[in-house]
Amino acid sequence: MSSHREAPEISKDPVADSTDLYAFVSPDKTSTVTIIANYIPLQLPSGGPNFYEFGDDVLYAIHIDNNGDGRADISYEFRFTTTVRDGETFLYNTGPISSLGDTSWNRFQTYDVSMVSGGSSTVLGSGLPCPPCNIGPLSTPDYGSLAAQAVASVGGITVFAGQRAEAFYVDLGSIFDLGNLRPLANAHAFGSLSAGPGVNATNNFNVNSIAIQVPISAVTRSGHPVIGVWTTASRQKARIFDSGAGEYVSAGPWEQVSRLGNPLVNEVLIGMGDKDRWNALPPHDDKEFLTYVTQPGLAGLLNVLYPGAFPNLAAAVTAGTARADLEAIFLTGIPAGVVNKTYTTFTGTVLADMLRLNTSVPPAGSPSILGILGGDVAGFPNGRRPGDDVVTIELQALAGATLSLVDPTYKVDAVVKSVTDFKPDPPSIGSPPTGSFPYLGTPYSGYNEPS
Amino acid sequence: MPRHDEERRSSGSSGRRLSRRSLLQGAATAGAAGLAVTAMGAANPALAATDRSSAVSLDPAKTPAGPIVVHVRDAKSGDIEVLSGTSETRLRDKDLAARIVRAIG
Repeated sequence: MSSHREAPEISKDPVADSTDLYAFVSPDKTSTVTIIANYIPLQLPSGGPNFYEFGDDVLYAIHIDNNGDGRADISYEFRFTTTVRDGETFLYNTGPISSLGDTSWNRFQTYDVSMVSGGSSTVLGSGLPCPPCNIGPLSTPDYGSLAAQAVASVGGITVFAGQRAEAFYVDLGSIFDLGNLRPLANAHAFGSLSAGPGVNATNNFNVNSIAIQVPISAVTRSGHPVIGVWTTASRQKARIFDSGAGEYVSAGPWEQVSRLGNPLVNEVLIGMGDKDRWNALPPHDDKEFLTYVTQPGLAGLLNVLYPGAFPNLAAAVTAGTARADLEAIFLTGIPAGVVNKTYTTFTGTVLADMLRLNTSVPPAGSPSILGILGGDVAGFPNGRRPGDDVVTIELQALAGATLSLVDPTYKVDAVVKSVTDFKPDPPSIGSPPTGSFPYLGTPYSGYNEPS
Repeated sequence: MPRHDEERRSSGSSGRRLSRRSLLQGAATAGAAGLAVTAMGAANPALAATDRSSAVSLDPAKTPAGPIVVHVRDAKSGDIEVLSGTSETRLRDKDLAARIVRAIG
């Protein structure tokens, strides 16, 4: 949900709305990288009878740049097909679904996955099954088995597409109420609220995930372990409603309607008037959005919302300091020698919002949810794992935590370490991420949620 | 002859090269072939009159299976885009644009 409903146009098109992107060296299979692209935000688990499904008319893609030009060298593309067995019943299923081929499952999806590289497209797998949504104990009594059946190995990759539990946590209700952070609410300028622990607004919701696990050797160039990753959703240029059939039909070339690389970039950094266009452009055009990154509006707001709490940050903002630290984190990767001699996510000088992953860094034995701010070089912004607290990391970075990395004279405000939307952090998650592919937790059951 | 420039781009392999003539052929058989010519207003009586005026036959083997969507971007300059399959064909045809404008009345 780090990009859920982040722009006006895509907020009206949830099927194509990318919500989160993860990329990490697989902790249980370290010769591979796992990439997860989530779509369809804030799924109420009980939302039937037409439960959540990918769009048959949407082209979903995961892109990988391995030479630093902000252009895809390898793309994995996904197209979905929905089948209805019996059009005369209103039911999603007419009995318990015990397997993916169960005929009591009335409305199901399959998909094709292709790899596009070097100007050619190769079909890796066709007719691959998605699992059903997690309906409830009578309809999907052994959901774990159904999900496991939907993990496929095709064309040298492992792939899964279907519903999973939301892993991202954020206090949406507080943050979008004038930038309030509940643990610091008593210090907010616009009220007299009491401090609180934070409310995980995305808990007990589901998402639709597209997950791939790919050999590192298949997506990197020799001697260049850092890759840039982003996901897109595209629709055909024209979409018209066929009243005779009661459905939409599409025509024309694919046009990108959603994009996601680093979490929260379009949601928090890009201005309202540019959000839709940002979603339609490729990463290598991101230089035109540079000012949004180097002069972020939220950094200027912090000392207003919390008067006097960020004096050094306020001085830097007033001085017009261009945030080279944020430019590195989001647009170029962090060069070696900034964090330490060896840490790098640098891909080159091309400004492009990509989630960069140094695949030569092994998974952490004891991961820190604060990633690099917690001393964990295997976490965000070196890729992103499902448990990483990207909200706190980015809030603290915007508040100046990383400015001292590029300006040794800058003194980070003492309060920055307290900037978070949860205390304690992380909050409780009903169905947390797992240790194996596809890593996100079992989706919440419609029978149990909302409870 | 009206000026007729054509530019085509495609994001897939299912597209078919269109010309002004084939577009008119498609429009002429819109009802029979199930074509959606949105910019021409398929349900408009004026369009029906236009349909009857065409005597050009259509090769079924060259007819796209899906809808054809015509977008007149600028009638004055004749800037028209034709969308079919995953292809887009850009036409510059003032005469065709004028006929479409007359058809929608």
